[in-house]
Amino acid sequence: MSAVTQDTAVSTGRATRVFLYLILILFALFYLLPLYVMGVNSLKPLPEITGGNMMALPQTWTLDPWRSAWSTAQIGVEPTGLRPYFLNSILMVVPAVAISTIVGALNGYVLTKWRFRGDTWVFGLMLFSCFIPFQIILIPMAVVLGKLGLAGSVPGLILVHVVYGIGFTTLYFRNYYASFPTELIRAAQIDGAGFFRIFWRILLPVSGPIAVVSVIWQFTNIWNDFLFGVSFGGTSQPMTVALNNLVQSSTGVKEYNVHFAGAILAALPTLFVYIVAGRYFVRGLMAGSVKG
Amino acid sequence: MGFLDIRNVTKSYGQVEVLHRVDIAVEEGEFLVLVGPSGCGKSTLLNMIAGLEAITGGEIAIKDRVINGVHPSKRNIAMVFQSYALYPNMTVGQNMTFGLEMHGVPKPERDKALVSVAKLLQIDHLLDRKPGQLSGGQRQRVAMGRALVRNPDVFLFDEPLSNLDAKLRVDMRTEIKKLHHNLKTTIVYVTHDQIEAMTLSTRIAVMNKGHVQQLGTPKEIYDTPANVFVATFMGSPAMNIVPATLVIEGGRPQAAVTDAEGQVRHLRFSQPGLAAWEGKPILLGIRPEAITDPEGADRKSGNIVALRNRVTVTEPAGADTFVTMTLSGKDAIARMRADANVVAGQAFDFAVNMEKAVAFDPATEERIA
Repeated sequence: MSAVTQDTAVSTGRATRVFLYLILILFALFYLLPLYVMGVNSLKPLPEITGGNMMALPQTWTLDPWRSAWSTAQIGVEPTGLRPYFLNSILMVVPAVAISTIVGALNGYVLTKWRFRGDTWVFGLMLFSCFIPFQIILIPMAVVLGKLGLAGSVPGLILVHVVYGIGFTTLYFRNYYASFPTELIRAAQIDGAGFFRIFWRILLPVSGPIAVVSVIWQFTNIWNDFLFGVSFGGTSQPMTVALNNLVQSSTGVKEYNVHFAGAILAALPTLFVYIVAGRYFVRGLMAGSVKG
Repeated sequence: MGFLDIRNVTKSYGQVEVLHRVDIAVEEGEFLVLVGPSGCGKSTLLNMIAGLEAITGGEIAIKDRVINGVHPSKRNIAMVFQSYALYPNMTVGQNMTFGLEMHGVPKPERDKALVSVAKLLQIDHLLDRKPGQLSGGQRQRVAMGRALVRNPDVFLFDEPLSNLDAKLRVDMRTEIKKLHHNLKTTIVYVTHDQIEAMTLSTRIAVMNKGHVQQLGTPKEIYDTPANVFVATFMGSPAMNIVPATLVIEGGRPQAAVTDAEGQVRHLRFSQPGLAAWEGKPILLGIRPEAITDPEGADRKSGNIVALRNRVTVTEPAGADTFVTMTLSGKDAIARMRADANVVAGQAFDFAVNMEKAVAFDPATEERIA
């Protein structure tokens, strides 16, 4: 018998190992299939799709569908492509993610280190807000946005997403800061640091992992949101709504290659965020669950 | 009027009073140790001095300035925490000067203070490291350095040695004592370890259930404990507390106890003033080191009483041998020289130094002599 070298909980023979990898590779291919279909078909001229095989590689490679989706495709009544809507989405998602994350961090800080009477109730209500379905608040929110004069604008969408996101970001930061030693806050108080100074100098520098979790979560949710966009977007609709308008148009020829290119364009930013910050995501989610 | 005055201070959480009228005056340069079991209120009192907990009643003053409502940073105190509470994202140097920076001290002065304190504590080679890269003892030094840099009126220590291993704890204890000796600072130190309290302090406040049981020098606390709690809490092994009856024989008060065979034995007190207790039950308190073999008895004592009794158990501990016997139905421990010839199960001639004995009232558990 050889010494145990494998770093897994269950030791396996060579045959089982080959079998395992075979299954895993099959599943990986299966999951990659839609992306493959979208990729190859967005690089074909339209007749190749309508006349042939979805799975086949392009016979003539072309970037025209991408150009069309980005800048010339008919979205609703305007032939603008997805570009202006992409910009709308960016203008909406960046401030919304930043604000909701910062407010969530401040909330978590107050709820764990500056406890007050009834703080558990406040936290409970914020948790509850995570479970409110979008549809319920559509009409009240429309009224509020109208009264604030923010209806149909990017700032209005930012407000909606910030309000909706605070529950989640507060939950993340509260639980992260709960394991942060209170003695450090007390030491900083004796050292003479005030409320914001302690937050800025002591707490924020160690909040990296949970900030990444909050940013990824908020970014994907807000970027991918359709309902709020279509309800409150007005003339400044986000990417998701435009993509719908592009794909669901009921007049003319269905340009599948353009649709595929547009769908990939809409998914790229979230993909980018996951690839850049993904490993912190797991690390952040696991933070505090195991000591050390 | 002391340097640090704690006047009639109480603390309540809702209806529950956890500190009852604590009254301590600390002189400049004193090393006061608050000692007691968990939940006795010692840390609460320290936090109230620091300003981290509100004062329910009474007042605390430093240099005659009442600081009840003053923010922690404006009390001119520094605190060393049990977990050290070093800021993990800052280097050792930044940790130590953070307080000065917050108080608006210019950088050249900060650096000067940092260098001199770092030299004093021998951590000048660690200034660029993060706390995570330090050993326990080094972190402890940095935490003390952070307090020293501020040059405060009063240092507060909250069980600073309890996270260190046994050997390091003894070393750091000596270190703290040296530091106090050299700098003559005023220190309030909280611990549950009675040996730390005895070795470090100039005065000890023994606390239990929110009351200060006794306030005095280590010698006073050890030799003349105010009550049974102080007597048994301070000292290891604990003081033997044996039920006895007070009899007067030949004009001298004596404690009548029974030995292992049920025979009544008389132990003659040195102290006067027990006459009023004649015929009444008392509790006799004798420290283990006051019961020895005849050769090991204190030669300066004028009142050694011989006591023959059967030995129940012997426990050799290297330097000493602890011998257990039965007195008035209770186990009593004697501390012998390592080479004393004691055999378990046999009778042995003990020598009891009754000059060191104390007596308590069994009803109130207060000391009567």
